[in-house]
Amino acid sequence: MNELLKGNFQTKNQVTDSPAKEETLEDRFEREAKKRLGGSIAYVSKKKVMWDLKNEKK
Amino acid sequence: MAVANAERNQQLLRHGRSIAELRGTSIGRRDSAIVMATGPSIARRDPIAQIKSSGYDGALIAVDSAFGYCLRNGVIPDLVVTVDPHPTRIVRWFGDPALMQASPGDDDYFRRQDLDPRHADELRANREMLDLTSRHAKGVRIALSTSASEAVVRRVVDLGMDIYWWNPMHDDPDLPDSVSRRLIEMNGMPCINAGGNVGSASWMIADAVLGKRSVALVGFDFSYYADTPHSRTQYYREAIDLVGEENLDDVFMWVHNPYLDQWFYADPAYMWYRAALLDMARDADCETVNCTEGGIVFGDSIRFAPLSDFLAAERA
Repeated sequence: MNELLKGNFQTKNQVTDSPAKEETLEDRFEREAKKRLGGSIAYVSKKKVMWDLKNEKK
Repeated sequence: MAVANAERNQQLLRHGRSIAELRGTSIGRRDSAIVMATGPSIARRDPIAQIKSSGYDGALIAVDSAFGYCLRNGVIPDLVVTVDPHPTRIVRWFGDPALMQASPGDDDYFRRQDLDPRHADELRANREMLDLTSRHAKGVRIALSTSASEAVVRRVVDLGMDIYWWNPMHDDPDLPDSVSRRLIEMNGMPCINAGGNVGSASWMIADAVLGKRSVALVGFDFSYYADTPHSRTQYYREAIDLVGEENLDDVFMWVHNPYLDQWFYADPAYMWYRAALLDMARDADCETVNCTEGGIVFGDSIRFAPLSDFLAAERA
């Protein structure tokens, strides 16, 4: 039994932990800076303008 | 904050129109535009002097913080753009009537910032902006984001500016449960990819709303001059909170500008804005020429050239 699952059964496959992606200093800084400045405006790749919901693509 | 502002601004949409009404309109007499931001190069290069003396008659689009610089120099921009939802800071670019009765307070952003040194003396700068905007802002077009604060919207309405509403893209509107899509459903205003900041938003409006074929950038530094103290950088307080004053050097990145053979430094937020703008310019219909004459915005999609070259080409 590994450290992730404990019980009175055996798992068929080995259960492994996948470490969460570590937040870089840049990630933290960017998030904090945007939060403090109120600049929560995103950049969305490959998008320009959505004029309305009927004619969505530009 | 931005979404809460949009919900509150729902009651005020009647004071303006959709930015869709600017689509295809002939703002400026040319197929080109100059987009003016307020990076530190503005104070050092003073691009408005060149623009005025050239007689340039294309569209001049000013970010909110450049409005005062234009008005002080006797220039009325064809369009002002604002997007940042901050509750107290952004209204200063239009003059904050409430500041006359109050002390500037704990927020030292304007006393420290490197964008417009005049704003270091907050009360004096505010009096000047109140005077300039009360005399000149009436009827000036403004692309007013639904994310704008109550103070900005109230001021812009009181000044009688010509309001064109738009939603900034908060996320991919094609995704399920998209906030951007919800905003369009709520207010019916077009949703524009703002690239994370008002300068990039203004560039996108020049390209995708006004349909300009050639767009020059001035004041787009996205970086600091080498002699700028860390304490005058945009995200100084945030940087200290994150890494401590003794580790500040680790936060900043140095970039060599080969066109100027000069070094500039940037923080991660500016590097992100730069990457996003270069990416957006790759998909643009317009040619983008960075005439900032400083900073780090150059790459395969953005040509770096002196402002005089752009203005001469426009005269030809």
